Amino acid sequence: MPRVAYSFPEEVLEHVFSFIECDRDRGSISLVCKSWYEIERWCRRRVFVGNCYAVSPATVVKRFPKVRSMAIKGKPHFADFNLVPEGWGAYVFPWIKAMAVAYPWLQEIRLKRMVVTDDCLELIAKSFKNFAVLVLTSCEGFTTDGLAAIAANCRNLRELELRESEVEDICGHWLSHFPDSYTSLVSLNISCLGNEVNLSALERLVSRCTNLKTLRLNRAVPLDKLANLLRGAPQLVELGTGTYTAEMRPEVLANLAEAFSGCKQLKSLSGFWDVLPSYLPAVYPVCSNLTSLNLSYATIQSSDLIKLVSQCESLRRLWVLDYIEDAGLEVIAASCKDLRELRVFPSDPFGLEANVALTEQGLVSVSEGCTKLQSVLYFCRQMSNAALNTIARNRPNMTRFRLCIIEPRAPDYLTHQPLDAGFGAIVEHCKDLRRLSLSGHLTDRVFEYIGTYGKKLEMLSVAFAGETDLGLHHVLSGCDNLRKLEIRDCPFGDKALLANAAKLETMRSLWMSSCLVSYGACKLLGLKLPRLNVEVIDERGPPDSRPDSTPVEKLYIYRTVSGPRLDMPCYVWRMEDDSALRIS
Amino acid sequence: MSEIDMAIIKPEMMKPYIWLETSDGSIQQVEQEIAMYCPLICQEIIQKGMGSSKNCAICLPQRVSPAMLSLILDYCRFHQVPGRSNKERKSYDEKFIRIDTKRLCELTSAADSLQLKPLVDLTSRALARIIEGKSPEEIREIFHLPDDLTEVSGACENSEEKLEPLKNATDDPRIRLLNRLYAKKRRELKERERLKNVEAEEEHADERSVDDLLSFINGNGEDPKGIKTSKNKKKNRRKKEQHQKSTSLKEASEVNKKEINGQNIRHQSAEVDRIAETSNSHAEDLFAQKEFDDGDIDDGIDPALKEKIDREVADFARRLNSDWPERMQEFLSSGQEKKTMLFTPNGNSFLRRNACMCYPSVLNDFTYPLYACKLNFHPF
Repeated sequence: MPRVAYSFPEEVLEHVFSFIECDRDRGSISLVCKSWYEIERWCRRRVFVGNCYAVSPATVVKRFPKVRSMAIKGKPHFADFNLVPEGWGAYVFPWIKAMAVAYPWLQEIRLKRMVVTDDCLELIAKSFKNFAVLVLTSCEGFTTDGLAAIAANCRNLRELELRESEVEDICGHWLSHFPDSYTSLVSLNISCLGNEVNLSALERLVSRCTNLKTLRLNRAVPLDKLANLLRGAPQLVELGTGTYTAEMRPEVLANLAEAFSGCKQLKSLSGFWDVLPSYLPAVYPVCSNLTSLNLSYATIQSSDLIKLVSQCESLRRLWVLDYIEDAGLEVIAASCKDLRELRVFPSDPFGLEANVALTEQGLVSVSEGCTKLQSVLYFCRQMSNAALNTIARNRPNMTRFRLCIIEPRAPDYLTHQPLDAGFGAIVEHCKDLRRLSLSGHLTDRVFEYIGTYGKKLEMLSVAFAGETDLGLHHVLSGCDNLRKLEIRDCPFGDKALLANAAKLETMRSLWMSSCLVSYGACKLLGLKLPRLNVEVIDERGPPDSRPDSTPVEKLYIYRTVSGPRLDMPCYVWRMEDDSALRIS
Repeated sequence: MSEIDMAIIKPEMMKPYIWLETSDGSIQQVEQEIAMYCPLICQEIIQKGMGSSKNCAICLPQRVSPAMLSLILDYCRFHQVPGRSNKERKSYDEKFIRIDTKRLCELTSAADSLQLKPLVDLTSRALARIIEGKSPEEIREIFHLPDDLTEVSGACENSEEKLEPLKNATDDPRIRLLNRLYAKKRRELKERERLKNVEAEEEHADERSVDDLLSFINGNGEDPKGIKTSKNKKKNRRKKEQHQKSTSLKEASEVNKKEINGQNIRHQSAEVDRIAETSNSHAEDLFAQKEFDDGDIDDGIDPALKEKIDREVADFARRLNSDWPERMQEFLSSGQEKKTMLFTPNGNSFLRRNACMCYPSVLNDFTYPLYACKLNFHPF
């Protein structure tokens, strides 16, 4: 039967595509046929590059000529734990340079774990006339001078967010560089800045930007200034306070409470450095509307925390220190029925003994009471297979599960068995699980479960687990949707890696540090798979100076279409592919 | 009576009509009020004065067939009534687009040519929903599109996409050879693991009586337990054979290793492969997971290159077969030496580096508790 294509004029197809935003779908569209590829690339407005070295800036701008929004990620996730040495890479300058030429109408840049210099910020400020959104998450390399350039030149700036970035704080007056005529700010996040900003400039900025919805202050903003800022922006939806302590004065409390009451749209609260509990009642008026609450800096006791969260019946996201304790989590299980995401951080991660009454029971309670819970990050000191089993059965809708039992290789504290069965239950029952972090005493068996059941798993983090290569083999051969795998201090060596070499081309990246992968195996991988960059990070000096069987310190493998990167520091070696062997 | 008189007496009989001609040449009369909902038609009537009679019927664009016109007019007829609520309209729209994809495409095209934006949006969104979540093959199938993308260029910079490279990887003859070997070794690995478990199971003695066994052998397999146990027994026996085979394989490889100095490596690894091949043919049914194609593939590579690849593959096979426990021991003992060096005054980084090298020791590792996420706390 002859196939007649359903033909459309291009504009119609473009219009259909304009309703398709998800990157995966855009990718699928572009792989359908030549004409769709062409149409799609001309109307693609948003590009996400998950690994800045997977493709070159030149390739991206050539393929997508009309992009308005770029998002790029740089360093591997384990850089957050100081496992990636200084100067590793992820420089955004080449990208900014290419985009400055190709995308004069660029509006949005979102970067994560990249090195951004003041030069980059200055180039952004002068190249993009419609520039509106700058979000820098876990970035570094720039100073407040760069921010001043953005403030001074970007007339249409709507969002400026510095999330957990390392900024050299030279001068708090950068904020004054926003001209008096500038009023389009919608979102400002300066929570990571160390020093004071010019408060009067901030107050004026906040009150003249009537569309301001998000304001995340830094710790240096004193509590007694908060009421004024709130009065200047009663339309705020998201607020991050500065330091939340001051000399206790009833009139300050009353003033603050009144200011909070005026913010009828407030849905998200964060900040809360150095909380003085007697000032907490100021936020009670807004609690019932809150959907997001970040108390991860609030070093207050369980009773105060409970008083606060028990009023937050609309809460969807809660980040809190383990001061909440099992008792607090039980209250949450009873009061916050809409909870989707819970993160419990350790107040004393390096202490040898538990300083709070937080155990696995807290998580079990929440998993029972909060039926919509799907994302968990939980630090605790003890766990049992039984608890994990209960959690898994309670919450089959779990999509992200990250458990960190503080003591490495801690077994089930009741049975002294490995926690294989517990995590096995998680992957078996939570069929939509996309992200998993393991901890505790784990054998190869847990990886067998993960390989068997973790069919939708996209990201897996492993530390101090497993016994033999079989563990790694189960994961690489079983997890069909695996994109990112990061492993540290596990006895995985060459066999599993080499046996599953082809799998690596289907993933974004693999990180292995303090494992047992030999230099020889790395060379072999680099040789056989030219579409991968196999990078050995070794601060002991050139790997060639040691026998091939020596395990490398760290290994970072990622797929790429842009060939070797040219900005590697002296302690990174790329395993070459032998072009002579290639059959063209 | 004149026409005007008729209009006064029975105004509802005088609804103005206009004439439209569709792509197939047929002409029809349509209520003007409804047709005017389409901007293109509206334009033709008002600006060009067309459509008032059969002779000056408005020629609709080529993409508007009679069937599509009918659908579009239904849409217009519903929506041009002013009194309807948003809920009603939405409900109508949802039902309206429940048509097969082919007609949906035609409808989108037709609506676009008539510049009827609300309908274009409605149908486009519906098409977008059809496309979402589908693979390129599925989309091609639905829209009857040719599979003419031969280059992979640029299709892979978005690391979220399922890439062609995987296909290319298995097309590369070197990779295919390697993959076949890996697949065999994987099966071996898995087999050994299984056997470890099986041996543990076999601890439980078969408690059936001699009579039971005899009756089973004689074909009176009524006792399900009996059958099951005996089946397991059969499986176990097969596994045992394979275990013996694979141990002999292991022994053979050890023997090979000892003889290897200066010998023809390729020849011996071929031996190893042949043994592996026979033992693994039984393993096929025990392992449900997908394997790479193990059949003979005409790789079409030149013999000299093939030999070079074979040598590398053999080399690689040796490495895979090398004794794991020995290497582990070696590694651990080198770790022991380094442990004693820990307390030199070389600073934190040396300490930490070597702590990582001494794999079992984590006491000096300051980043483990942070492993699950970044903690931005001021120390207190």
